[in-house]
Amino acid sequence: MKIAIVVQRYGAEINGGAELHARYIAERLSRHTSVEVLTTCAKDYLTWKNEWPAGEETIHGIKVRRFPVSRPRNTDDFGRRSLQVFDRQHSLADELAWLDSEGPRSPALIRHIGRVRDEFDFFLFFSARYYHAWHGVRAVADKAILVPTVERDPAVGLSLFGTALRGARALMYNSYEERALIQNVSQNQAVPSVVVGVGSAIPDRTQPWRFRKKFKVKRPFAIYIGRIDENKGCPALFEYFINYAANYPRGLDLVLLGNAVIPVPKHPRIRALGFVSDEDKFDALAAADLLVMPSPYESLSMVALEAWALGKPILVNGACDVLRGQTLRANGGLSYDTFEEFAETLYCLEASGPIGAILGRQGRDFFRKHYAWPVIERKYLDMFDRLKREPSARNAEAWPGWWARRQRTLPPARQIVDAVPSGPVRR
Amino acid sequence: MSEFQVKSDAVDVDAIMRQIRARVQEKRGADYTETEVQELAKVKLEQFLDPKGVRSDLVAQFRKHRTVTSAPPNYEFEDSTIYETHRGLLRTIRRVLNPLLKLFFNPNRISGALHIQSKVNNDSHQRFLRREDMDALYYELIHNLALEVTRLGIEVHNMKMRVESVSSRVDFDERRGRALEQVVQYKPARSGSQRPPAPRPQTAAAPTSPSTSTEPLSTAAATDTSEAVTSGVSGDSPVSEADGERRRRRRRRRRRPGQTRDEQVTDEQVTGEQVAAPHAVNAPSVSDIGDGPVQGGATVDSPADVGSDEK
Repeated sequence: MKIAIVVQRYGAEINGGAELHARYIAERLSRHTSVEVLTTCAKDYLTWKNEWPAGEETIHGIKVRRFPVSRPRNTDDFGRRSLQVFDRQHSLADELAWLDSEGPRSPALIRHIGRVRDEFDFFLFFSARYYHAWHGVRAVADKAILVPTVERDPAVGLSLFGTALRGARALMYNSYEERALIQNVSQNQAVPSVVVGVGSAIPDRTQPWRFRKKFKVKRPFAIYIGRIDENKGCPALFEYFINYAANYPRGLDLVLLGNAVIPVPKHPRIRALGFVSDEDKFDALAAADLLVMPSPYESLSMVALEAWALGKPILVNGACDVLRGQTLRANGGLSYDTFEEFAETLYCLEASGPIGAILGRQGRDFFRKHYAWPVIERKYLDMFDRLKREPSARNAEAWPGWWARRQRTLPPARQIVDAVPSGPVRR
Repeated sequence: MSEFQVKSDAVDVDAIMRQIRARVQEKRGADYTETEVQELAKVKLEQFLDPKGVRSDLVAQFRKHRTVTSAPPNYEFEDSTIYETHRGLLRTIRRVLNPLLKLFFNPNRISGALHIQSKVNNDSHQRFLRREDMDALYYELIHNLALEVTRLGIEVHNMKMRVESVSSRVDFDERRGRALEQVVQYKPARSGSQRPPAPRPQTAAAPTSPSTSTEPLSTAAATDTSEAVTSGVSGDSPVSEADGERRRRRRRRRRRPGQTRDEQVTDEQVTGEQVAAPHAVNAPSVSDIGDGPVQGGATVDSPADVGSDEK
């Protein structure tokens, strides 16, 4: 069996998001089957500029074939088009123009997929919202397995994604909340699917004391790992934490790992250590009392899974359905909506607190049961077997004609997403 | 901070979150959302302001009944207005015949009056528009005031509850304090011949005595009478003994806050009885504890001794 993994960016340097997810899956599946990665030359997800050379290379034993992006993203144009399709009545042509504007626009990649469709058994497309996934699924619908990695953002409400989500051969969801959202928006219940998620490269041993010594961290602390960004809910985290620190002088400190896009407030109990190596990251996680995830938009938090793998409880933003659902299902953490809840939950999850250790243990059990690599690999392989056994019976949806595509009759995407019921899925 | 009941090795996040929310709710007192505050504001205003026919949903009512006033028809009246026509020739004839018209009456006065009236119309319309804008602001202001008053009312209510809770705690603490005072048994006042003399602090013999070691206060206080007597005997002068006795008497005579003279007398009698009771001999008095570390039933006032205790 030969599998192609198609993703917008790919590289050992990319250490987060769907790209890291794709790399982990490629490396794991390569133990069972032949895997090739098809991607673009882009490195920066904001501009999609061609920074890596086109052609073939090998990364961690995986053959990677890169194709150039035909034009970098024009942020002004993208912003205008986003406003048009998210907040106003629009046409299918407007949505296609938005997709082109979003990028990474790489017709060469799509042409290549069409050319080599017979060489591969399945094409695994990551990130449904990007150009490569939508055009790729349309090019090889009967072999396309989509890993949507969507969050509850207005883009999901665009009608053009409905065709891809209904047209793919199968879907591999990251969470039950993601599946509920997509099925509500696109009515694709007939498409074979499974909730998989992703594992993580957890080291066998961690050295919390090494981290404490290296970074001179003495007090107990909560840790945030990820980009320090407004979209990740960091401003609210800072506000809550400063308030908490004022109220609880003997409480936890806050340690931040990751690049800061917004300024970090200067506070004696907040330590921003910047981007650190994986070794430092896992040591820090092992040294922490708990992990804080303030992001309101997540399709799956890999760092939350890593925290559970190390037996640490997590504290998540209650506004994020996925994270809240995961903590409820795992019984591995708590959520907050207000400052009072933030302070109370932080206290509960302290290592010396009443339930932190128990929740961490439950989280670790949940991780082992659902997110250990053998479990993830088995789910992928089972899906491949199932699709091989069951021939594709569905016909491609008829594509609207030239005139129909230009009729501005589609409702604003935001309106569609807002109408979808929210909340965690309890299984 | 709250304490949680964890009855088993496994915990249910849902149950914990319910406990946390209940705890937060309890801490904040009545927890109202913005909508609830608005609802309460409506109710309160209806109660108090209905007699005057003022509604609490002022802004909504105002917006509902507000109609955008269009400008009433007006006219421009200038000197030449009465001669205006779209026919150029006719306008010329009227101008030519104007002197003839003025023979019959004075049209200039009429033109002037109508010109002024036109300006007055314009001014009043502008003023009316400004008034309408101000009205909107006033309605908004009153509405917001009503909301804030309601919010403050709720807050005052919560504060009252909190004050009640604090005062009950203070009462409880006071009661506990009194109870503790009663529990503490006073050291007996011994007669001059029976009472052993207090040890002299920091004397040459003191370091050799185990009783002047750095023993903690509580331990020292708990030593039995025989030890106290033994340690107190050595190196004591009659002057210091008399001083200590006087000091103790003075302390006993001091009244406690809120205690009347009669109560004090009764207390002193009771103390006198306790002195006679053999079981009360061991315990140090509250005043002794207050003055300094107790060693063998005597007080050590010297700073040097205090320093040695701190070692």
